[in-house]
Amino acid sequence: MRLLLVEDSVPLADELISGLSRQGYAVDWLTDGRDAVHQGASEPYDLIVLDLGLPGVPGLEVLQKWRADGLSTPVLILTARGSWAERIEGLKAGADDYLTKPFHPEELQLRIQALLRRARGLANQPTLEAAGLHLDEGRQCVSRDGEEIQLTAAEFRLLRYFMLHPEQILSKSHLAEHLYDGENERDSNVIEVHVNHLRRKLGRAVVETRRGQGYRFGGSGG
Amino acid sequence: MRSIQRRLSLGLISVLLIVGLVLAQISLWLFEVGLQRYLESGLRNDSELLLVAIVRGPNGLQLDEHRLSPGYQRPYSGHYFRIDFDDGHWRSRSLWDLELPQPEQTGLHADLELEKTRQSLLLLHSEYRKFGQKISITVAQDYTPVQASFVLVQRIGLGLGLAALLLILALQRVTVRRALRPLDTAREQISQLQQGQRSQLDEAVPLELEPLVAQINHLLAHTEDSLKRSRNALGNLGHALKTPMAVLLSLAESGKLEQNPHVRDTLRDQLQQIQQRLERELNRARLSGDALPGMRFDCDIELPGLFSTLRMIHGEHLELNNHVAPGLVLPWDREDILELLGNVMDNACKWADSSICLCITQASGGHCLLIDDDGPGIPVVQREEVLGRGNRLDEQVTGHGLGLGIVKDIVESWGGRIQLLDSPLGGLQVRIDLPERTVQPMAD
Repeated sequence: MRLLLVEDSVPLADELISGLSRQGYAVDWLTDGRDAVHQGASEPYDLIVLDLGLPGVPGLEVLQKWRADGLSTPVLILTARGSWAERIEGLKAGADDYLTKPFHPEELQLRIQALLRRARGLANQPTLEAAGLHLDEGRQCVSRDGEEIQLTAAEFRLLRYFMLHPEQILSKSHLAEHLYDGENERDSNVIEVHVNHLRRKLGRAVVETRRGQGYRFGGSGG
Repeated sequence: MRSIQRRLSLGLISVLLIVGLVLAQISLWLFEVGLQRYLESGLRNDSELLLVAIVRGPNGLQLDEHRLSPGYQRPYSGHYFRIDFDDGHWRSRSLWDLELPQPEQTGLHADLELEKTRQSLLLLHSEYRKFGQKISITVAQDYTPVQASFVLVQRIGLGLGLAALLLILALQRVTVRRALRPLDTAREQISQLQQGQRSQLDEAVPLELEPLVAQINHLLAHTEDSLKRSRNALGNLGHALKTPMAVLLSLAESGKLEQNPHVRDTLRDQLQQIQQRLERELNRARLSGDALPGMRFDCDIELPGLFSTLRMIHGEHLELNNHVAPGLVLPWDREDILELLGNVMDNACKWADSSICLCITQASGGHCLLIDDDGPGIPVVQREEVLGRGNRLDEQVTGHGLGLGIVKDIVESWGGRIQLLDSPLGGLQVRIDLPERTVQPMAD
C-alpha cells in the first residue's frame, strides 16, 4: 500500500512516516500544496493523508482540484480545525474521512486501514479476509483454519495488497509501484522473491502466475 | 415611548381646534357688527321718516298716521317707536301696552329686552329739533330672528368644522401611515432579523432612514466579520498548538519511551488534559453567543451534509432518521448549531446499535431538539454527573469530540436547557430546549 502524506510540519511528518512504515505502508511525503496537486494526480497512490493547513495552496483547494480532475483515491483529512462546520466542508470537498489533531497514532492507522478496506468495498472487520486467509494487520500475521503463520514485513505488505485485490491480475510493475515509495528502487525481481516466499508459507495455489500478465491471488480458492 | 402617529394626531387636533374656534368666533363677531351697522342705517332711516311724519296740527304737534309704515300698527310686530317731545310722547301701536326701554344716550343699543315678549331689541335713540322743540325719537327693531339665524349659522359652522376636523384627521392618518410605512417595514425587518429570517435590512428606504439602516447593516456586517476573524484566529491558534501536540502524542505512543513507562504515562496524561482543556476552551471561544449572526441554520440545506458526514464517520450500518419539518430555519448561528448537533449526534452514533433519530420541533416558546438512539443509554444516577462536569461520554469509544461539554456550553450561551432522558428507542434521549430569541436590553 502506497500512501501520500501531505503535511507541512516536519516533526509530525517524521513521526507519522516512521509509524506508518512500521505498519508496512510505503509513504511519500510532500510539504507544499502546489506539489501535492501535481503529484497526487500523477502517481498511483492507494490513499492520501492530507493536512489542511498547507503553504502554497490550502489543503481544501488541493482536494477540490484532485476531485475536479477525476482523482478517486481515498483522502483522509488531517486538521487542527475540528469544528463540525469545517468537517462537513472537508467532506463536501471530497474527503473520505476526517481526523482532528492531536490524535493517537493508532487511531490514524485504524482509520487508514478502514478507509483502504472501504475503498475496496470490504467490511471493516478486525481482520482482513480473503481466500480462506485471515490477516491481522495490527500484528502483521496471517492465519488459516486457526493456524497462525508468521510473516516478514515485506511478505506482509505483499500479502495485504493481494488480499485487498483478490482475483485480480496484478503485474510486477503494478505491484512494485504500490508497494514501494517513490525513492526506493523498484526491482521487479524482489517481488518475484517475495511471491515465492509467500507460496512456500501458504501453499503454491495461493498466488497463481499468469505468464506475461502477472500474478493473481486467490484464483483457485487457496 | 408614545407612537409618532398618536403624537401627530394630538398635535394636529389641538392646533385645528384652537385656530378653528378663534377664527369662527372672530368672523361671526365681525359679521354681526357689520350687520348691526347695516340695520342701524335702516333704523336711522325709519327715525327720519318718523321725524318727517311729525307735522304741526291744530292742537300743536301731530303725527301723520298715513306716513307710518304698517309695521308700527300691528301689535308686537317687531317694529316699534316712541317719540318724546316737550308736551308728551307718542308710542307706536305695535307696542301695545308695553314700554320701550329708554336709553339715556343717543346712538345704537343692542340686546335690550322688550318686557314680557321674548324679543331682543336693536334700538336707535336719536334727538332732533323741529318746530323749535326738542324731539327725541327711539326706534327699535326685533333682533331675535337675526340672533336665531346666527345661532343656526354657528351650529352649522360647528358641524362643518367637526366634519372637516374628522376628515383632516383621517387624511392625516393616511398620510402619516404612508409616510411612516418605511419605518414599519424597518421595524418588521428588525424583528425578522431577530428571529433569524433575514441577515440584512433592506437598503431601499427613504432618505431620512438611510443612515439608520446603513448603520445597522454596517454593525451586522461588522459583527459577522469580527466573528469570522476571531474564529479564524482561534483556528490558527488551534493549528499552531495542535500540530506540535500531535507530534508529542505520537512520541508518547511510540516505542522510544518504553524504557521509561512512568515518563510515558505522565506525558500521555498531561497531553490528554491539555488536549481536552484546549478543545473545550477553543470551542467555547468560537461560540457566537447572543450576537446576531449572518448565517442561519437552514435545516434543509445543512442537515443532509451533517448526516452524510456522520454516516461517513460511523459507517453505513446506522440508520439516521430525520424528523424535521421541511423549510425549518433555526435562528441561531449555523456553525454553532452544527457544532451542537454534530457533537450530540456523534455521541449518539458511537453508542447506538442501529438507529438514531433527530427530531426538531418548533413550539410557541422556542425550539425543541430531540436526539434519540437505541444504544445502552446512561443510568439515571450517572446522568447528572455526565452533564455536570462536561465529561466525555466517549472515553471507551475511540473518536474525537468532547461529548456533551461543548454542547452544554452552547446551550447555556443561548439560555437553553439540556436534559438526558430515556428514549422510546431504548437508549438515551438528549433533549435540548432552546428559548425563542428575543430582543434583550444590553444588560451586564
